[in-house]
Amino acid sequence: METDELLLNMGPVHPATHGVLRFKLRMDGEIIRDCEIVMGYLHRGTEKLGEMKTYLQFIPYTDRLDYLSAMPNNYAYVKAVEELADIEVPLRAEYIRVLTLELNRIINHLVFMGSLILDLGANTAIMWGFREREKALQLYEMLCGARMTFSYMRIGGVREDLPEGFIPKLNDFIKDMEKRIVDYEQLINGNEIFLLRMKNIGVINADEAINYGMTGPSLRGSGVNYDIRKLEPYSIYPDIDFKACVRKECDSYARYLVRMDEMKESLHILRQVADTMPAGDIITTQKYGIAPMTGAPSAVMTYFPRIFTPPVGEVYTRTEAPKGELGFYVVSDGTTKPYRVKIRSPSFCNLVALPKMIVGLKIPDLIAAFGTIDIVLGDVDR
Amino acid sequence: MNAAEELKQAMPAAVVSTGMLIDKPLAIIKKEEILKAAGKVKEMGFDNLSVITGIDYRDRFEVIYNFFSYKKKENLVLKVVLDHEAPSVDSVASIWKVADWLERETYDLVGIKFTGHPNLVRILLPDGWNGHPLRKDYDMETEQFVTMGEDGEDIVSTDGSNLLRRR
Repeated sequence: METDELLLNMGPVHPATHGVLRFKLRMDGEIIRDCEIVMGYLHRGTEKLGEMKTYLQFIPYTDRLDYLSAMPNNYAYVKAVEELADIEVPLRAEYIRVLTLELNRIINHLVFMGSLILDLGANTAIMWGFREREKALQLYEMLCGARMTFSYMRIGGVREDLPEGFIPKLNDFIKDMEKRIVDYEQLINGNEIFLLRMKNIGVINADEAINYGMTGPSLRGSGVNYDIRKLEPYSIYPDIDFKACVRKECDSYARYLVRMDEMKESLHILRQVADTMPAGDIITTQKYGIAPMTGAPSAVMTYFPRIFTPPVGEVYTRTEAPKGELGFYVVSDGTTKPYRVKIRSPSFCNLVALPKMIVGLKIPDLIAAFGTIDIVLGDVDR
Repeated sequence: MNAAEELKQAMPAAVVSTGMLIDKPLAIIKKEEILKAAGKVKEMGFDNLSVITGIDYRDRFEVIYNFFSYKKKENLVLKVVLDHEAPSVDSVASIWKVADWLERETYDLVGIKFTGHPNLVRILLPDGWNGHPLRKDYDMETEQFVTMGEDGEDIVSTDGSNLLRRR
């Protein structure tokens, strides 16, 4: 029997699109024949705002790109500016930064796990994810007072030192989390319905995934052994023992497993960082910094000027954010404001591959494959 | 010899000059030769097009391509300089699929035309938007109002006449 082709609209307001994203699907019966993605509903002109703010003022805007993992956004931006102005960051600041980055990776993957399984129809997983996330957010609250939009990184270091009692609380969290991950794996990984929904769904092989610009855990799920923390080591990652988590199956299940493994690796990194945290400054005192004030309490001993002008030049830096490669292209014309800030967001580029993954499948498979790409619309639309 | 010099040796006619962008090899390419150069770059093993950036320098436009090779673990940056009136350059979307969206974004926000692109329409801003926001001469004063039409298309106006008003 021949069926007419049907144009089906999904979104922009749909619970499974994780924000405001619209799919225009060409359906042949239940089979997706073509998928067009319409975006921009959350476009706030962040790149233009970057040109109008000073270097320091732009940091809070980076929080609002990928609001589930604000720390890596902060970090990618300040790293670009530091590379542009050639600023040395004290060792303690780098340790604190890596601590916050890896904690954020765990938060991101917990929300990924919860929302993916919620999209597949099981309501409890998001409660588990948010339960653990809450504990991590309390740690952040201790550290900088904010729970989602931290603005904690500063050019040349971080805003505040670790509060008293932070490391013991972090150790409690790590211990608790290690047990919880085992629980999740027992509850989820062998679940028959979950496996049926995930295995061999949204398959994309390594060459195609690279060509479509996929990065991060989504690419490692296609068997590409790559991790920017390993390939172009930055911060203190060269001194830390961890491995890039790779799976060869290329399907949704592989992408899910990569993220679960990454949480364990992040815990491993957190433990090392917590054990070897050095003493010292938390923000640079050299070059653009001003000499320490005498008699001031230790937290404000070092001071980085609010208005500073990096030399003329341009830089592109890439970091391994929880969702993939997050890059900032910053151009300086020697004034107090950037001439151009370009954001290479992982969500935007990972989404390119989605139509390729889901053509020939059904709509519930679209939800499953889409969930495992793990995007945030604030990051797609910028 | 870094990747930019290798490219210059292979295609001396296409490469204007080579240099470094902080720690990444940089080659400035003639505008007409970008598609050929991109093909060569892909042959050299640069399988990942990381990002395309368009910059308005008031007297000229620059389009910057950042490449990475998963095989050789190397970076390469290509740069094309375009004149300020009617900037256009050949599309590389036929070589890297990700360039499709990256070029659409650059067209949308900076207003650079990519000739030969399969579907060069706005991606972040609504169709019918006036101007390209990341140009330095973009009009920041005029407000633009967007509503959704009957078939889901975007309607843009500068006086708000498309907004619903109570009589």
